[in-house]
Amino acid sequence: MKLIRLKYTKWYNISKDGLSKNNPIVVAVLGICSALAITNKVDNAIAMGIGVTFVIMASSATVSLIRRFIPSKVRMVTYMVIISSFVIAFQMFIDAFFPAIAAALGPYLGLIITNCIVMGRAEAFAVKNPVRYTLVDGFANGLGYMYVIVSISAVRELLAFGTILNYQILPDSFPTWTVMAIAPGGFFVLGLFIWLIRDVTKNYEFS
Amino acid sequence: MKEYIRIIVFVTILGTLTSALLVGMDLLTAERIKALAAFQVQSTVLNAYGITNFSTENVNQVFDENIETIEINDLVFFVDSSSGAVSFEFVGNGVWGPIEGVLTLESDFTTIRSIAILQQEETPGLGGVIEEPAYLAKYEGAQIAPSIRILRNANPDDPNEVDAITGGTRTSERFEIILNEAYSVHRAAWDERMRD
Repeated sequence: MKLIRLKYTKWYNISKDGLSKNNPIVVAVLGICSALAITNKVDNAIAMGIGVTFVIMASSATVSLIRRFIPSKVRMVTYMVIISSFVIAFQMFIDAFFPAIAAALGPYLGLIITNCIVMGRAEAFAVKNPVRYTLVDGFANGLGYMYVIVSISAVRELLAFGTILNYQILPDSFPTWTVMAIAPGGFFVLGLFIWLIRDVTKNYEFS
Repeated sequence: MKEYIRIIVFVTILGTLTSALLVGMDLLTAERIKALAAFQVQSTVLNAYGITNFSTENVNQVFDENIETIEINDLVFFVDSSSGAVSFEFVGNGVWGPIEGVLTLESDFTTIRSIAILQQEETPGLGGVIEEPAYLAKYEGAQIAPSIRILRNANPDDPNEVDAITGGTRTSERFEIILNEAYSVHRAAWDERMRD
């Protein structure tokens, strides 16, 4: 009984949208550039997922907070300024207090600015909804992004290096696939993954 | 007209607030970032000489006790007091961004004692291998004079040749240029000092 009632709550539907029904990568096909670039190692994918989740939540909440004051003509610029500020502040914070993580992430931290999911959520959701729902939405979309890139990176890292999270899984005699470590490998795995998920969830597009 | 004034006021306020956030963040973190960068260089140099008994608190003291810092024509050399080996920083363009590191030479100024990478932005898993100690170990004992060559199928008997990174050909090419340029510049300054 409780489960049925759960299905009608707003936050449940928002989470479901972000995680599966409108998953940013698999269904909306947003944020592909970073999904291709950083998915050759699982640890990079996890760190990127956490960073993107934080930035979506923080920027969406801010946009939602000031949504009544944003003039519609400059709203895109406003999102951009807010997102960049959060990313740069986050980068400075990581550089100063967690130098090991900063070294592992390298240039990708700054590239969160270019992730279209962040801008997409600000325009599609945050500017029309109260702060508490934007936080749920940001978290769900961040997780939706994260589990897809982590799954892709697990396949790529296993085939390209024979490891997962830098632990040796496959025997040394396994011929590693260099193509999986570079961008074309990302395209293959991402394409297969989108096909698989859309087939399982019966999400078809007809023209 | 009224709408434009509203936009200008909004943009000004937004700009001021976000700049304030970033300036505040910079004030909070700048000193720490600078200290961390200095610590990174000092600890890399100390590690190259096998000195590991230091922490963030006493690194300056340990560094001054063991290493002599010499400045020649704006180039900085770190000389190990006990062995006479010399370290200096190098920086140059990799494939995606700068590659920075510390090169340590034996007292003859031609044999490589060790190379450490401080910062690089090469493709993870391919060119990014450049920062792994297992790869950099290949350079130990190699001769950098007159120049070093980073090749596929390097001849193990030729001290001027080192294996390139598999799948990181362009990174290897850039790294060869960076090392040779840094060496010739520092060599010229070092020789000048010897003549004086």
